Amino acid sequence: MLFFSFFKTLIDHEVTVELKNDIQIRGVLKSVDQYLNIKLDNIQVMEETKYPHMSAVKNVFIRGSVVRYVHLPANAVDIPLLEDATRREAANQAGKGK
Amino acid sequence: MSFFGFDASRHNPAGAGFSQAHNPFAGLSNREDEGDALEFEETYDGLGDQLEETGDAFNDDTFGDTAGLDTRPVGKDFDFFGTTAQVSTAIEEEHVRFTRQQPTARVPQPTAQVSAHAMPQPTVPGPSSYGYYSQPAPYKPARSGYEKYGNEPVAELQVDAALWGVAPKKQPQQAPAASPAPASAQPSRKVLSLEEVEAQMRAQAKATQQAVPSPAPPQAAIPADSQGQAPPPMHHDPAYQYQQQVQPQIPQQPDHARKDQSFGPGHGHPVTILQRPHGKQGASPQPPAQPAAHFRQEPSATMQPTQILQNPNRLSGDAARLGMRQHPTPTMPASYPAHPTHRQQGSFSRQQQIITHPSQLSQLSEEEKAAYLEQEAKRAKRNHKIFLMSRDNGIMTPQDKSFVTRIQLQQLVSATGNPNEHGTDESLTEDFYYQVHSQIQGSQRQHPNQPLNNFAQTYLFQTGSRQGGMRRHNRGPENHMQRMEQQVQRAVEAAKNKPKNKQLVIEGSLGKISFSNAKTPKPLLNIKRTDNTGEAHRPSSSHKDIPSGGDRKSDLRSIERIYTTLMQMEDHDRAMPPHPANDADTEAIQRFVAWNSEAQILNNKLWQGLRVHDHPDNGRVHPFIALLSYTKGMKAMQRISRHLSHEQRTTILTLIVVNLDSLEVVRNAQVTPEVMQLNAAMRENVELFSVAVMSTLFNVLNELDLDLVAGVLGLVCTRNVDVIAKSRIGVSMLTMILSRAEIIKHGGGGSEQAWRSWDATHTQFFGLIEPSLPHMFPGPVTAGDDIYVWQLLAALGIGAGPDQQQRLVLAVKDRVMDTVALSKTLPQDLAAQRLQNVNLFMRSIGLDVELLQ
Repeated sequence: MLFFSFFKTLIDHEVTVELKNDIQIRGVLKSVDQYLNIKLDNIQVMEETKYPHMSAVKNVFIRGSVVRYVHLPANAVDIPLLEDATRREAANQAGKGK
Repeated sequence: MSFFGFDASRHNPAGAGFSQAHNPFAGLSNREDEGDALEFEETYDGLGDQLEETGDAFNDDTFGDTAGLDTRPVGKDFDFFGTTAQVSTAIEEEHVRFTRQQPTARVPQPTAQVSAHAMPQPTVPGPSSYGYYSQPAPYKPARSGYEKYGNEPVAELQVDAALWGVAPKKQPQQAPAASPAPASAQPSRKVLSLEEVEAQMRAQAKATQQAVPSPAPPQAAIPADSQGQAPPPMHHDPAYQYQQQVQPQIPQQPDHARKDQSFGPGHGHPVTILQRPHGKQGASPQPPAQPAAHFRQEPSATMQPTQILQNPNRLSGDAARLGMRQHPTPTMPASYPAHPTHRQQGSFSRQQQIITHPSQLSQLSEEEKAAYLEQEAKRAKRNHKIFLMSRDNGIMTPQDKSFVTRIQLQQLVSATGNPNEHGTDESLTEDFYYQVHSQIQGSQRQHPNQPLNNFAQTYLFQTGSRQGGMRRHNRGPENHMQRMEQQVQRAVEAAKNKPKNKQLVIEGSLGKISFSNAKTPKPLLNIKRTDNTGEAHRPSSSHKDIPSGGDRKSDLRSIERIYTTLMQMEDHDRAMPPHPANDADTEAIQRFVAWNSEAQILNNKLWQGLRVHDHPDNGRVHPFIALLSYTKGMKAMQRISRHLSHEQRTTILTLIVVNLDSLEVVRNAQVTPEVMQLNAAMRENVELFSVAVMSTLFNVLNELDLDLVAGVLGLVCTRNVDVIAKSRIGVSMLTMILSRAEIIKHGGGGSEQAWRSWDATHTQFFGLIEPSLPHMFPGPVTAGDDIYVWQLLAALGIGAGPDQQQRLVLAVKDRVMDTVALSKTLPQDLAAQRLQNVNLFMRSIGLDVELLQ
């Protein structure tokens, strides 16, 4: 649940979501769920001329499975904490695996 | 086929059909209908809310002995209008007044719906009603309990013709009596087969004959009534119109029938059964109408107690009964008019306003015709919609609904997690980053369980608002809200108590439901790790690591172990029991002791992991020092020092100082005036080291006494001072040590003996570092960024004797002079900066750069 836990903290921050079909959408993260489905508000497509059909869209719900990358706002990430959270997650997984 | 099991052919004042007129949506609102698409608010006048739906206890008192009505023919002595007649004037006045007050009649949705249900077949003119209307005279009401209801229903039945977009046209041939109207309306009410129609047609002749004479007696019965002169209340109209126009109507019937059929079953009929025309027909002051009026009024009044029965679902039943009812009427003209008649009358009157039989239609202008047809189509569409939506009304009982709600809530709770669980260890392991991050960020989200609470509240709120939207049924919604809240509580409780299974058999569900909630999403890959591989792998690797050491992989693994231990210690710290308040509290003391011993175990583990006491393999750096060459090793230092004792920290400081020249950030970060550029990675490392490690060491050093400081400096002297002095970290370390001694000196600390040993060490150290002094500066004089060197020189200068100062000046004189010269070519602020750096040193030996300029 590390990613879910992590993305929850990015709510109300601006992120750029890169989809598997190469569309990049920048918007304010409104919510995320355990499937990493993403809801963005005030979106803006990065290459607007290439995807004119998106220019009228103001908010989107993105199914988690079609996301390739999420570009994070660096200043919203607590790196040491994230490192520790990763360690805990790894420990949990190892514990469950046994 | 009676709705209540009463004899349908008799008068049934409690029949549900009566109530439609009054509060058609009471039933709907009770059932929490799903008809969201419709604005019930618009169609519902709220009058029904004023009714007591449960207070049926005294119905008999109010409405007469219904038992008697049931058992014997309602016949001659049933008094529908006796008492009502006495107040009829007042009632009429009330009608008018109310009409004026509320000119905006509501769209008669419900009635339309009723008719839709009731009239699946093309309607046929029903002469039968003539039978009804012709007969009222004989019945002399003995009493009537309906007076108090008299004005209410009437008021809401006022319909503004404009509402329908068609100006109510008075047909010339209709004359004052508006004769065709009743006829046209009537067909709409009928649900008759062809045979029935024929039977009615045949019966009609009889009925007419009976009807004609009928008006007289009522009139005689109430001669004083002035109603005839006043604009007659709408719902009276139909009655007397019927009576009057029996004759003209008959020929027209076929037309109406045709017309209705042409509109099709969905909308041709009538729809607004209850709408009474607004004083339209009232123009005709016909005294004979009187009795009929009273007669009619009663049914509308009677409906009120039966409001509770209003349920869209039952309308169909109602309609069926209606259909049944109407059959007998033609053949039994004397039989009592059941509630259907009441509706009929409404429907016809309404229709009079809008509709027209073909001849009427033809008289309209094209636009009007088009408008009318459009309206009709709209209305039909709407009716159909309502019908479709209401078809499934009431399929779920409240119990069903709450059951479903409970299951949903359970899912909700198990998916989102238990609010009480937040902040506990379990949730911390599952949701560590978010929990801690929001604790750190703190401000907005006060409590980690807020998301769920929000969720739950949203859920409740939505339900609540839906309830609230259902209008003024205050008692109901409140109860419901309470129930919902209780359900949420129960669901949360249940989720809390429930053992955590991967599967759940929910009460009443078929089969198992496998969970995938926020914490345990349904695993896509389920890799079974066999125990021996895990067991075999781990011990061997850890076993191997400790002795071997030295290579990058094992170093990193050691660091991870340190981190794991650190996190365990931090968790353990959180679980620290409160300090026992007094000695008597043995349990608290025990807990505290147990906690302490556990902490000690963890501390040992950490200390082992740091491998401070390990001896380096031949030719290799000390394992602990090796850890400090990794970024995350450096970062760990601050956290490590928090969990170590003073002795352990001092040991670490000593160890670092002893290995100062073998530190990567010292060894590999050598600078000279000629070569100053380090690669980016190394610069980063140096930066990180000074932030993460040096600050820790600085704190440790500041706790040390002078003898230990002297000891540390002595250790430095055993190392390669030149290497140390040529690295930024080394220089900073030296500065720290020297300045610590100075601070102790200023504080008056340190024993005589300690000072003596310090002086000796310092002298020795000075001798060692002196050759390196001119070469410590990073890069040429133009490079700048040499403040740390000046700081060391200043620290040296303060503690130096006069001859040492002399040697210092000599050693760095060139650099001083160059810097001063350079500062003259620099912009002012930069120059000042550089001169100030130099001055750090100059002032420590009692000089100033000013003297050089």
